[in-house]
Amino acid sequence: MTITLTHYLILGAALFCLGIYGAITRKNAIGILMSLELVFNAVNINLVAAARWQPDGGLRGQLFALFVIAAAAAESVLGLAIILAIYRRRVVVNADEMDLMKN
Amino acid sequence: MPEQVLAAVLIPLFPLAAFVLAIAVSRRRSVLSAAASIAGIGAAFLLSLWVLRGQVLSPGPLQADIPWLAAGSIRISMGILVDPLSSLMLVIITAVSLLVQVYSLGYMKGDLGFGRFFSYLSLFSFSMLTLVLADNFILLYMGWELVGLCSYLLIGFWYQKPEAASAAKKAFVVNRVGDFGFLIGILVLSILSGTLSYGEATRFIAGGSLAPGQVTLIALLLFCGAIGKSGQFPLHVWLPDAMEGPTPVSALIHSATMVAAGVFMVARLYGIFMTSADALRVIASLGAFTAVFAALIALAQDDIKRILAYSTISQLGYMMLALGVGGYAAGMFHLTTHAAFKTLLFLGAGSVIHAVGTNDIWKMGGLGRRMPVTAITFFIAVLAIAGIFPVSGFWSKDEILQAARASGHLELYIVALVTVFLTGFYMARLFFVAFAGEPRAESHAHESPVVMTVPLVILGVLAAGLGLIGSPLLGQDIQRFLAPVEEHIGGLNIAVLVQSSALAVVGILAAVMVYGLRIVQPETLRRAAGPVYVVLKHKFFIDELYMALVRGLFFTTTAGIAWFDRHVVDGVVNFVGAASKWGGDVVRRGVTGKVQSYALVVVWGLAAALLVIFL
Amino acid sequence: MADAVLFYALGGLLLVSAALVVTVKNIFHAALYLALALFVVAAIYVTLGAYFLAAIQVLVYIGAVVVLAIFVINLTRTVTGAPVTLSRRWVIPAALVSALTACLIAVALLKAADSSPASPPATADATAAIGRGLLGQWVLPFELVSVLLLSSLIASIAIVGKDREEER
Repeated sequence: MTITLTHYLILGAALFCLGIYGAITRKNAIGILMSLELVFNAVNINLVAAARWQPDGGLRGQLFALFVIAAAAAESVLGLAIILAIYRRRVVVNADEMDLMKN
Repeated sequence: MPEQVLAAVLIPLFPLAAFVLAIAVSRRRSVLSAAASIAGIGAAFLLSLWVLRGQVLSPGPLQADIPWLAAGSIRISMGILVDPLSSLMLVIITAVSLLVQVYSLGYMKGDLGFGRFFSYLSLFSFSMLTLVLADNFILLYMGWELVGLCSYLLIGFWYQKPEAASAAKKAFVVNRVGDFGFLIGILVLSILSGTLSYGEATRFIAGGSLAPGQVTLIALLLFCGAIGKSGQFPLHVWLPDAMEGPTPVSALIHSATMVAAGVFMVARLYGIFMTSADALRVIASLGAFTAVFAALIALAQDDIKRILAYSTISQLGYMMLALGVGGYAAGMFHLTTHAAFKTLLFLGAGSVIHAVGTNDIWKMGGLGRRMPVTAITFFIAVLAIAGIFPVSGFWSKDEILQAARASGHLELYIVALVTVFLTGFYMARLFFVAFAGEPRAESHAHESPVVMTVPLVILGVLAAGLGLIGSPLLGQDIQRFLAPVEEHIGGLNIAVLVQSSALAVVGILAAVMVYGLRIVQPETLRRAAGPVYVVLKHKFFIDELYMALVRGLFFTTTAGIAWFDRHVVDGVVNFVGAASKWGGDVVRRGVTGKVQSYALVVVWGLAAALLVIFL
Repeated sequence: MADAVLFYALGGLLLVSAALVVTVKNIFHAALYLALALFVVAAIYVTLGAYFLAAIQVLVYIGAVVVLAIFVINLTRTVTGAPVTLSRRWVIPAALVSALTACLIAVALLKAADSSPASPPATADATAAIGRGLLGQWVLPFELVSVLLLSSLIASIAIVGKDREEER
């Protein structure tokens, strides 16, 4: 029994869906951010695996995954900073209570 | 362009310029308004005289055709037409306007709207002169509506008075009924003939390319306009109410000029009317009926201006009768003399009202001694309108009677004779009640200032002497001038002359017996007449009848429409509103403002997309 | 065969730890499971021959992002003084749609199943190749990412720091 690309892709899909589930169900903003990290990693697994099955041996896929990691890092830094700022001001961590712009 | 035509183009432009200047300074410098207005109309008067002189020396139509716009086969030009008819009208209008404006200097002195009054008068002169000079229906209609507007503005000049405001509205609305038919007539004629010019349209109609029924229809539609404007039955109701306006306005617009526009229009389009014998018969019958009808009402009125208003309606009926029986020149001749003596009557009445401050003739009396100039000129005018030899009305009325007699319609002739009697009676009644006898009020009446009496004297001379230009004894110049070729002009008809004079004298003498010498007390006469008096006093209940008609027809119809509006139209509107609100309530549940709920929906969408793509 | 055992073991561990990340009530525990899941992902990178990426994963994700998240959790918790528990909502619809999506993707992938073996690594020294790639052909995106990171750094300092100034 050999492991094919399909195995990796299904693993990525499963991880992706778990991340989505978390992003929808979590109320805590930090929890949502962490779920999104799972989604990013699912994407990265797909990228790296798909590249591995390319004739050139997967360099470009790895480079792409690097950029995704960098972008994800930037995103989480900003996201956490925003959460902290909102928390400082309003003592709120739950996403559905952040409704200053609603009314 | 011949000099005459150039002058004719300038004639309406002087009052227009005066209007623009006068309205601009009417608040601050009302005296300048009056000066500009009088200067404008004075210049127009001099030019009109010059144009008339040119026409007298060498009669014949002169035209200026200025193309204005062309759309397909319809060409609209701002052309003007100078011929004996229009040049005569020019002089009448400018002369009366000039005299009335000078008179107004005294009459309107101290009025808050002094400047505004003169600017409106200038606008009116411009409109009326345009109407008269037009050589096409568009310009005619424009002038026609503009004079209507001026009439509205001037009747409602004292708009603070509720009666004046509602009289202005009434005049406007009633005229709209007639103008509606007039406009339809113009449109039908222009569609059928493809032209808007009088000359071409008349040639087209006279050429016989239309069925007689069509010609009659067009002629009657056009005549609707004259019915409204000239106060013919059944649209006469606005004219007596129009007396709410200042008296100079009544003299200028509601007796001498504007209300004569209907007569002028029929004369101007005589080529069209002549083609349809039926239309002419309708005009003659309606004219005769209006003449006697209004004269009857005038018998029982107490307001000096209303008596004069009904007499105006009656005299306009005379003119219509003349046109209807083929007395084209006779009708226009009567228009001319009527302009002089009726303006005089109104200005005299204005002078009296100015002095005693009331319109009720029973509160006057004995004014003859206190206001000799007014009384004498007024008496001349009474003689003129009654048709007593040799003042102007005698000659022109005689022409009409002759034309009626010659046409073979004996019944019209008899009606006209009855009207002569009635006219003599009610005018004498007015004169003797107001001017003769002892002063009834604690009167401090005195003669009016010179600016008012001078126009009275000038008009008195005209009212006395103007008839001579149409007298059979002196060659009937005006008839020859107006109708050089086609028309047969009756000479001196002694029978008609004697009959009408006798009836007029009898009418006057009867009035003298009752109201002058009191051989029979007025009260006795009134009681003897009984219900007849009541009917006349209430003007045959025409206003009440219209009111009932309006209530009955209009209000029931509108009630239905209102129901439809309230339930169906509003129902649809409310349903749309409610449905939007309900739909919004449903949809807004989806818009929670929570990002995660949107994400949930997005993922459902993703699942659906995958389902569609891969399965 | 060893490949398969390793894949299933790592894959199972990854899915279990990821499931714990999104379900446990205590957010501190969730963060620790996230660290575990990210570490397993790094291991999966190794099985795919991406050694450099695996190192970066550990350094950046576990070393920076997760630690940062734990910092924030602790900061918010210490201020409120109450344990941060994670309440949830829309559990059933979210679970349904997630499972459905996963199944659909799996079905689609199996339909287009490709059983070819993985191609061998192009170069023996993949790390060196990546380094050359980053500073050679891909230098422009690389620099852009640097700018992105720098700007997000400055922005986060501004967001958090500005607030303090106002408080003063």
